[in-house]
Amino acid sequence: MPDKENLRLAVICSSNMNRSMEAHAFLSKKGYQVKSFGTGDKVKLPGTAPDRPNCYEFGTTYEEIYQDLLAKDRSFYTQNGLLHMLDRNRRIKMWPEKFQLCNTQFDVIFTCEERVYDQVVEWLSTRSPVDTASVHVINIDIQDNHEEATIGAFLFCELAALLTSSEDLDNDIDELLHEFETKCQRSILHCVLFY
Amino acid sequence: MGENEKTFNKIVEWLNEANVSTDPKAKVESIIKVQEIIINQHPHLLDAFLDDVLAFQSDRNMEVRRTVVGFIEESCKKDPAILPRVMDSLDLLLRDSAPQVQKRVVQAASQVYRGALMYIARTQPVPPQMDKAWGSLCTMKSEIVKLIDNDNDGIRTQSVKFLEGVVLLQTYPEADSMVRENDFNLEDIPLTLKIVRRRRLEEEASMIFNLLVKFHGEAHVSSVNLMTCMGSLTLIARMRPQFMGKVVTCLENLNKNLPPTLSKSQVNSVRKHLKLQLSNLLKQPSAVDYHGEITKLLSDLGCSSQEINKIMPKVDDKSRRSHKRTSAESASSLHKRPRLEALYRPEHVPEPKKSQPSKVSVDIPAEMTEKFISDRLNPETVCNIVLSALPQVPSQMPSQFAANYAPVQEPGSQTHIQYLAKLLMSHFSGGSVPRAMPRKSGKMVLTELPEDDVEDESISPPPPPAAPAAPAAVAAPEVVMPPPPPPVEELMDQDGDDLEGPVFNQRDTAGHLVVQREKLKELTPMTPLTRPLKQKARALKLAEITRPLSQESKTKMCTSAVKRILSADKTAVCGGVSSVRNKIIVTLACTYNSDIRSEILKFVLEDLQSRLDLELAISWLYEEYSLMQSFTRKPIFVAEEGSVGKRYVKLFCTLANHLADKPEREVLLKRLYLEAPSITEEATDILKELSCDETRCTVGLQLLQSLVIRRPPKQLTYLNALLEHTAHDSVEVRSNAMKCVLSLYDGRSDLRSIIEEYAIMYLGFLQLPVPPDVLFGRERGRPLKVDNWAEGPTKACLYLYLELLPHEHKLIHELTRVYVQTVPEVKRIILRLLDSPVRGMGMDSPDLLKLVEECPKGAETLVTRVIHILTDKTPPSTELVKRVRELYQSRVSDVRFLIPVLNGLTKREVIDSLPRLIKLNPIVVKEVFNRLLGTHSESLSHNSPLTPAELLVALHVLDTKKVELKMVIKATTLCFAEKQAYTQEVLAMVMQQLMEMNPLPTLLMRTVIQSLAAYPNLSGFVMNILQRLILKQVWTQRKVWEGFIKCCQRTKPQSFQVLLQLPAPQLQEVLETCPELRQPLLQHVQSFTENQRMHVPQSLMDVLTGTRHVVQDDYDSQVAEPMSPDGLTIDVREDNFPENSGTSEPLPPGMD
Repeated sequence: MPDKENLRLAVICSSNMNRSMEAHAFLSKKGYQVKSFGTGDKVKLPGTAPDRPNCYEFGTTYEEIYQDLLAKDRSFYTQNGLLHMLDRNRRIKMWPEKFQLCNTQFDVIFTCEERVYDQVVEWLSTRSPVDTASVHVINIDIQDNHEEATIGAFLFCELAALLTSSEDLDNDIDELLHEFETKCQRSILHCVLFY
Repeated sequence: MGENEKTFNKIVEWLNEANVSTDPKAKVESIIKVQEIIINQHPHLLDAFLDDVLAFQSDRNMEVRRTVVGFIEESCKKDPAILPRVMDSLDLLLRDSAPQVQKRVVQAASQVYRGALMYIARTQPVPPQMDKAWGSLCTMKSEIVKLIDNDNDGIRTQSVKFLEGVVLLQTYPEADSMVRENDFNLEDIPLTLKIVRRRRLEEEASMIFNLLVKFHGEAHVSSVNLMTCMGSLTLIARMRPQFMGKVVTCLENLNKNLPPTLSKSQVNSVRKHLKLQLSNLLKQPSAVDYHGEITKLLSDLGCSSQEINKIMPKVDDKSRRSHKRTSAESASSLHKRPRLEALYRPEHVPEPKKSQPSKVSVDIPAEMTEKFISDRLNPETVCNIVLSALPQVPSQMPSQFAANYAPVQEPGSQTHIQYLAKLLMSHFSGGSVPRAMPRKSGKMVLTELPEDDVEDESISPPPPPAAPAAPAAVAAPEVVMPPPPPPVEELMDQDGDDLEGPVFNQRDTAGHLVVQREKLKELTPMTPLTRPLKQKARALKLAEITRPLSQESKTKMCTSAVKRILSADKTAVCGGVSSVRNKIIVTLACTYNSDIRSEILKFVLEDLQSRLDLELAISWLYEEYSLMQSFTRKPIFVAEEGSVGKRYVKLFCTLANHLADKPEREVLLKRLYLEAPSITEEATDILKELSCDETRCTVGLQLLQSLVIRRPPKQLTYLNALLEHTAHDSVEVRSNAMKCVLSLYDGRSDLRSIIEEYAIMYLGFLQLPVPPDVLFGRERGRPLKVDNWAEGPTKACLYLYLELLPHEHKLIHELTRVYVQTVPEVKRIILRLLDSPVRGMGMDSPDLLKLVEECPKGAETLVTRVIHILTDKTPPSTELVKRVRELYQSRVSDVRFLIPVLNGLTKREVIDSLPRLIKLNPIVVKEVFNRLLGTHSESLSHNSPLTPAELLVALHVLDTKKVELKMVIKATTLCFAEKQAYTQEVLAMVMQQLMEMNPLPTLLMRTVIQSLAAYPNLSGFVMNILQRLILKQVWTQRKVWEGFIKCCQRTKPQSFQVLLQLPAPQLQEVLETCPELRQPLLQHVQSFTENQRMHVPQSLMDVLTGTRHVVQDDYDSQVAEPMSPDGLTIDVREDNFPENSGTSEPLPPGMD
């Protein structure tokens, strides 16, 4: 899979808001064929207090969430960057997507934290088989804040570039990941699953 | 109808596009479009277009071929009946050169195989072509089974997945199996079917399952494969619970023995995956019997008991399950029994068959023994074991134990007993498992300790060979060993076969089998059981099972290996292989990276220091040289670090610098330079540098000299370096260099001309308006450039030349050539420096004579100087005199030329040149006289053409028209100063001669007075002279007469006698000139006796008494002196010295 367009990528975090969207934006800007998802039950965004998060169903559009937050506390959500983030998101796609509801096949799935990785692996290994096309699930832990999300996007992009450089990804991925791991000094989880 | 036609046309169009297009992407797109239409919308068109699409299977582009595979897969899914038509293509594509295509085929094969099996199961009767296609499919299946050992990771993954599918298809589900929608299994296959027999399929599945288990347990499986296989096994366990036990064991083993090749994060991923699989298993109701093992594994993997409880399904009746399990086991073993027959089937691939027996034989006895042990682990036995082991427990807790120890969970529980039993079992069966696995917890250590005692004292169960009949009976059906077919035996690897097999066969199977196995045992070497059994099935692929070391550790290991070699010198000497060791070291140094080089270099340098041994260093140099010259072929793996030439240079320079540092290593330095294969420019520079150092120059210069002689190809370089130093500012350096050059000059005739040229080149510099740059610089000892011809640079140009001069006289002509063009300062310096070389050449040198003879214009001073030097201490040779005389007469009329050779000239010539000589500077005149008189000359055999007397006489007779009297006076004064030459006798002789001359010399009386002043003893002689002068009528010569009077005046009273002899007029004149004489003279006469007085003529008496005046006017006019120098009187007046100052000399003229 030497071409960028031929590598079907998915970036998954829990709410399909910050980390996955940042990576989505960056990767698609770089020309990759990428989709993004969340694995959580709900789309959760920080609220004005730690015990009062904003929760939305998957399927609520970014626009709606944006308007909602705007109405709730414009200055607060401007200051913590949520509105800016939502604004970006609504330009990329309509709404947060839940991974477990998606039937598209991917070649590589990036996850942003171990819990998400677990959920993805769990779901992929319990769903009924379609064909035995393989998918690489790769996890890099990324903290859920704007800065780390940006760094994460870079990391994913770098990794994607590395992966596309391979002529035979399935054969080379072990070495590529090892190489990447030593380079970026982050621990990576990786497994192969099948559709 | 129209719609269909349109679609048809569209498809044709796309296919054409795909055919025509050169862009693989466009092709792929077109095919996918076709596929979309045909498969999903118009399946009836499939038949028509299938071949067209299949035609793309030979496309050059890999992606296109993959698409074709996808098309086949989808087509088969849609209509399995077309399988016969696509089978060949599929088979072909499986052998594709691109792994991606192969992979895709394997992936498709899962679906195709499943579809085909389902189709066969449903379709009665099976069409013949389908029968055939199924056969090919089975062949393909065995091909794919082989692919599990493929080099490509992705292909292996897909193969595992395929095998998983096959196992699931060809086994029976159970009541509590996890059911997936669309599941298809053996139960769905009609019993009546001929081409596929349930039994065969099941056997095959079990074989493949074992294959998977083995693959899973492989030591060097990649993480991706491992996780895939793990997932497959778990899925199989969930869907076919009869495999549950094996799968759990498998996972347990994996947890104990993770492949050593995994990196840290891969281990994390694998453990995580394992956890997930285990929790999936745990959820399965059929896993209830294995809950103990699974929960233990999970807690090992870091699951809290809470988490485990959360996953665990509600279990109500354990015993029921347990019972069911036994029945299931027996049922499954029943299924297995007829495997014998299956193994002989030709379409089976050999690998699975090979592995099967071993696997079974390992697993089953283990379970048996385990059960045997666990049944006997009652408190009493355990107590005994512990007690007997206690003495061996160390008094202090080992740190390792403390680190690993975790308290036993639920001690005494069934799980715990089981676990202990398992550990004991593994010890009994050769200690295989525990030895191979890392110690996970303290429990293990505890149970390990008693082991030996248990065996020794026979407290616990006997070892497996004596296994009791009871468990064996239970296990009997399972351990039935099918006799492996002979071809398989032959194929088996010679190593790693199961050792347990025969043991169990002995008691479980028929006798002929035992014999067969025993034979095999003899053939196969005994190897530990722990060896992964899978190994024998696969060729060893080093690249696969090894992981490249990190660069750092590689380097580290490399370096330490080299260090060991280096430090083994004594050992090598003892073993008599020191030369081999040297060779090794040298090769390493030359062909490995810089780290190793520097390590060895360090060693070599230390070696030089400690042992003064150059052997190693020289060998290394030679090796590098061989590489550089390509005498030795450079190993290809050598990383290029600069050119080889540079490395040689670097090495040489390092060595040289190291040796040059310390004076005591001079010998080594010499050896290094003389023995090295090649001395590069840089190395020469080091030598030059060394030679510049005043304290160390000797060694450097001598080395250069040796190199000139011993390395002819580059002798010019070294000679040049040597020559350079002959113009060094430091005396030490210069003189040493000079010594070396001169010895070369004298010893090597071939180098003479080079050295001469060099000297002449330097000499030539003197013609330049300013000194050239080459003379300056640190290495020349003159760091600062000077812009005029000061002494330093001038001398620098001359040193070598002047040294060579005495060796090669003809070089002198070069000097004259240069000399005339130099500036005055340089000339002066040249003249000054010329002394010793010219003296060295000697007067007889034909070249010097030639020089004198030719005397180029402008070089007169030079020639004069040369002549001067030559004659300074020795009398001139006739040859030289001849040349000078010729020169003087023909071209150069400067009288000064003659001075050096005066002593070689004839008397006549000297006298002839005297007028000119005494006109010169007083100092020069004095020099001339010195030469003539032989004073100030060391030579004893001084032979002047003139005696001192002759000289003085000659001076007196000089033609006063040619030379001023004043000069003559000065010259005579110089003579008088030489008291050594002009003794009393000489002067007397001179006066005698002068007096006899006619006319009398003008200076006669002056000389008389001077002589008298110098030697008062001469007064008698002078009186005699005076008397004789009277006879010669001295008064006729005015000057002399004046002198006469003066003399008389000075010599009174002796002169009274003389005065009285004067004729009266003259006496009168005397008295008039000196009136003070009258009275004493008168008294003198009066003191005479009467008789004496009578002899005094009356005229005289008259004069004395003043009674008579003699008129002298006429006389005066008669003897008028044409020249009457004032100087005479002045001079004489100056000579007015006290009477007793006879010893004091008058200062020579010009000296005051």
